[in-house]
Amino acid sequence: MIDTLLKRLLVMLLLVAFQVLVLNHLNLSGYGTPIVIACMVLYMPMGSPKAGILLWGFCTGMLVDIFSNTPGVASGAMTFVALIQPPLLNLMVPRDAPEDITPTIQAMGSGNYIRYTMILFLIHHLVYYSLECFSLYHMADAALLMLTSWISSVLLALLLETFRKKK
Amino acid sequence: MRELLDRISQNVHWVVFLLLEVLSGFMLFKFNNYQGSVWFTQANTVAGKVLEWEAKGLQYMNLGKENAYLVRQNTLLQSNLNVLRHELAELKRDTSVTQRYHIDLLKDMEMIPAQVISNSVRQRDNLITINVGSNDGVEPEMGVISGTGVVGIVSKVTPHYALVLSVLNSRSSISCRLRGTEYFGYMKWNGGNPLQVSMDDVPRHAKPRIGDIVETSGFSSLFPAGIFLGRVAQIHNSGDGLAYSLEIQMGTDIAHVQNVCVLKHHMKEELDSLRR
Repeated sequence: MIDTLLKRLLVMLLLVAFQVLVLNHLNLSGYGTPIVIACMVLYMPMGSPKAGILLWGFCTGMLVDIFSNTPGVASGAMTFVALIQPPLLNLMVPRDAPEDITPTIQAMGSGNYIRYTMILFLIHHLVYYSLECFSLYHMADAALLMLTSWISSVLLALLLETFRKKK
Repeated sequence: MRELLDRISQNVHWVVFLLLEVLSGFMLFKFNNYQGSVWFTQANTVAGKVLEWEAKGLQYMNLGKENAYLVRQNTLLQSNLNVLRHELAELKRDTSVTQRYHIDLLKDMEMIPAQVISNSVRQRDNLITINVGSNDGVEPEMGVISGTGVVGIVSKVTPHYALVLSVLNSRSSISCRLRGTEYFGYMKWNGGNPLQVSMDDVPRHAKPRIGDIVETSGFSSLFPAGIFLGRVAQIHNSGDGLAYSLEIQMGTDIAHVQNVCVLKHHMKEELDSLRR
């Protein structure tokens, strides 16, 4: 119990640090910055308490908000994704999988896992950029930003997945 | 009864979801104006500390570039000094007013060196956080410059940090003029390219040319006159056709600025009380 909690906390801090200290500084000349904090929600095993997922997601988003001057944007998007994750995972895992499956490439199969990541990230980016452009950008710019950011984020998340395996 | 309790505990996540989203929405609307956001965002001490460490680390990597910058700036200043010394020597013969004027201008200004610890150019309203605050004598409404020109205006201070309204902010407008003429205008940023700003309402008879230098006018107490802003890159007609609107290539690349100076004007209050 305590063990998983600490592990999750560590993952959260690593993700936030990576996002805030590295990714937020990538200025891809007008294209969107990759956002990988949704991995926090992505890694939640099936059957975890839904309120717990929501709180983890919200806290991760909140931390990123504090460090990147975007109050409410990341936390709002993360909370929304956290609501979507359990039914989405339910839909994506193979029928014969164990009840408390942790979403990884091995457990789900690469096709399923990539689809799961893409859909979850798409929802996250949709909400994130709608919240951000609500106050800041023009619609067409936001759409381009969202699309490029989504593609780069998914690729990066799949890359991170390979590191996760080794742990 | 039992069933009811089960129902509730099964659906408690909806309540949590709504609560958290309302909280996020509250933050989004409440804190997105920059004045209210200081305690919560980057000037917040913990976040400020972490970002400062990061900036320190990054500075080491950029020292080479920064040095090259300084050397170039130094050479430029020295050559300027040479020219000025010559001119001054000539002027001294008939009057000492010019000399006194120059010395007075600099005497009124105190320069507080600072380092940028967080910065953005991606948004419509960009803010910069620097590592000096009210303990170092920084107050809101002070100008901030770097070696290559104007950077922004202090908007909010905490004891150790200050939030700077970058030139790249829709709220910022800096009084400027074409060097060598007294025609002035206001510099604005219209989003997009962080190296391009515009100066509106330049009268037609000012005859601006591409490559002309744009500098601060000194009309506000924030910046002394003559601080470099950029060069005219393109000349457009303004909407009503009565004036020019100039596109200006910024002298300072805000995205890479690290060492800045806050300008403290000793006579600021006196000046402001006159203008009120």
